[in-house]
Amino acid sequence: MLAIETSGLTRLFDGKAAVEALELRVPTGAFYGFLGPNGAGKSTTIKMLTGLLRPSAGSARVLGLDLARRALAVKARVGVVPDGLALFERLSGAEMLRIHGQLYGLDRATAGRRAAEMLEALELVADAGRLVQDYSHGMKKKLALGCALIHGPELLFLDEPFEGIDAVAVAGIRRMLQDLVARGALTVFLTSHVLEVVERIVSHVGIIHRGRLARQGTLEEVCAGGTLEEAFIHVAGEERAPPRGLSWLAGARPGPAAGGGGPEGER
Amino acid sequence: MSSALLAVAELRGRLLWRRLTGRGGIGEGVARVALFLLALPLGAAFATALGVGTWQAVRAGRGLRVEVAAAAVFFGLWQTWTAVSLTVNDREGLDLARFLVYPVRPGRIYAVGLASGLAGDPIAAFWALLLSGILAGAALARPGAWLLVLAVALVLFAVATVLYVALLQEALSVVLASRWVREWAMVLSVLLAVGAVVAVVGGAPRSWRQLQAVAPALSVAQWLAWPAAFTAAAVRRLYAGDAVGAWPWLAGQALASASAGRLAFAVALRQSQGGGGGEAAGGHARGTGWRLPVAGPIAGLLEKEGKYLLRHPLARMAAVVVPLVSGLVAWKVAPLVPPEAGDVVRALPLFGVAAYSHVFVQAFWLNALGWERGGARLLFLAPLDGADVLAAKNLALYGLTLGVFGLGAIPILVAGALPPPWALAGALALHAGMAPWLHAAGNAVSVLNPKAASFAVQRHASVPALSGLAGLAIVSVVTGAFALPVLLALRLEAPWLLPAGWAAMGLAGGWAYRRALRAQGRLLEARRDALLPVVCGDEA
Repeated sequence: MLAIETSGLTRLFDGKAAVEALELRVPTGAFYGFLGPNGAGKSTTIKMLTGLLRPSAGSARVLGLDLARRALAVKARVGVVPDGLALFERLSGAEMLRIHGQLYGLDRATAGRRAAEMLEALELVADAGRLVQDYSHGMKKKLALGCALIHGPELLFLDEPFEGIDAVAVAGIRRMLQDLVARGALTVFLTSHVLEVVERIVSHVGIIHRGRLARQGTLEEVCAGGTLEEAFIHVAGEERAPPRGLSWLAGARPGPAAGGGGPEGER
Repeated sequence: MSSALLAVAELRGRLLWRRLTGRGGIGEGVARVALFLLALPLGAAFATALGVGTWQAVRAGRGLRVEVAAAAVFFGLWQTWTAVSLTVNDREGLDLARFLVYPVRPGRIYAVGLASGLAGDPIAAFWALLLSGILAGAALARPGAWLLVLAVALVLFAVATVLYVALLQEALSVVLASRWVREWAMVLSVLLAVGAVVAVVGGAPRSWRQLQAVAPALSVAQWLAWPAAFTAAAVRRLYAGDAVGAWPWLAGQALASASAGRLAFAVALRQSQGGGGGEAAGGHARGTGWRLPVAGPIAGLLEKEGKYLLRHPLARMAAVVVPLVSGLVAWKVAPLVPPEAGDVVRALPLFGVAAYSHVFVQAFWLNALGWERGGARLLFLAPLDGADVLAAKNLALYGLTLGVFGLGAIPILVAGALPPPWALAGALALHAGMAPWLHAAGNAVSVLNPKAASFAVQRHASVPALSGLAGLAIVSVVTGAFALPVLLALRLEAPWLLPAGWAAMGLAGGWAYRRALRAQGRLLEARRDALLPVVCGDEA
């Protein structure tokens, strides 16, 4: 049984393909890491799979349902932490969780109860009454994860969940996700640049490069005896040399006011 | 001008150019030009009238004509300028906080922000034309060097008003951001409402004239409007031929303006450096806040919209400014209406407040998605119908405008006797009847031309120029249509036609609204690709 199955999924921007003929196969219960360099098409793929972006061509089945025909039914069964998050910043953390639950069809009492429980689990109880806009980036990420989980989704999409948060928060989120997948409650589809974390938690990997799926399979199949980083670099390109130029940064020099630095001063 | 300040000016220019040449930019550009084209002939017509009045005043030198030309004109100009700037005028300014990181004096950034905001503002062109009319009328009546002093007086008046508005905006944003002040303001409003009911029912002081007799010190209140008061004092002397006597008043004007500008900047800087206030959402120890006693999928949406509206400074400002404006009308205008004018004419201020409560918050129905930012993604991620999203926004906004209308009606009820039942029913029918028409049209504008807006009243535009133009057309058509029953009631001398007519128009509006809502919900879904980057602020 596949949680996600795409066929020729394509998205064009101004005639240029951001994602081209994608054939994803994500088994139910998998912890799927979707990797790729910047601009490879990871976020575009997630946006198409979650209904934020319309595909230019191709189709997708999510949890066995045709995404184009059964969008609302699919949305009700998935949770999403998108790139840039999806938080109403003028609500308090507790309000955000509860209202998020209600928007996904929970009744008010259940949503309120789960919100309180989630705040405990995310260690946000002390900040429950503060507006989301005053949260730190890490707190917002945790809250967004809580929102994505509050309605009990079967499939969780996470776009860069570990970006911009500290190691302690990363460990906390990692443990929570591993626990949920281990219980068989969830399929997780995540994108991340933090390869060492991804390598420790995923069961399956897909690597996208320039809009096309370059590799896909279990972690062992994709790594083929090496590390995930080696497999990634093999697909996405060799290490690049440091940039040339920037000569004014070569050593300690007086600032532009005192020394007339800058391009003109170097001629 | 330093190179850094030039860079700031260049940045403004480039960003404007990118916006005009980017997605939807051509429409924005056309709308700006159209607004200027509308402002110019309108300004020219009013300027001609002011010019004629000034010509007569200068020729007279002293007496009632001078009083009218000096006091009424400048107080009227100042009042409308300030009210328009604080409410419907939504010119763009610089966000000081974003520029604090650069080695440029913040005061200069603030000044550039004020000046550049005025440069692209069609309404500023309108005021400039009116002041030119005054100068032209004076020049025709009595040519001479004194006109230079008059020109200085007019420029100082314009500068003083701009700085006064800036100070008011900064002060209001500070005051209204304080939960303590808001809560006390609400208590005061409730007390005022109770007092009003007691006063009307008990026959206690029923007119502002009686209140003025109790408090003669109210006349000192003119100095709250110091830009107009200083200019009026100077201009009286100039029209009488006493140019030397005008200088102390002009000096006072300059000093007061400089102080106001300095204070406005200080408040703005303090706010910019203050960062997030860390304000609690309130209502509950764990921040779950108030809840609506309704169930169903729309409950969450409605609750979120209600909380957003009540936390927006524009809504708070509406709760303060609309009663103030209606109070001014009740104080200054309503007593001038002669008894023989009839009940319908006497009820017009109440009807005006009903309509004004919608117009004041037009940013919310013309750019309904503008404040969602990242939260807009959730509207498409969650299993929601686009029509429900729009309906919740409209319903919450209707609740807000009803509250604002209630607050605005209080001074009018206090100032006069309790209006006849048909007038009260008519005002409620007018308020409810306009809503579906305005919201149906506003939904289309919001979906087709959204813009990410900040949670403030004084910085960044909250409505794109094209939407502003559309709003002007929508308000004109709807208020024009709803004015027809008034004309009919006056002609037939049948006031009961008003509630009946407006209720019928409201029912028709409700039918049209329901028909449009489904299509607009589908349009919202269909436009998500274009809408999200704009609303989430990725392109802001």
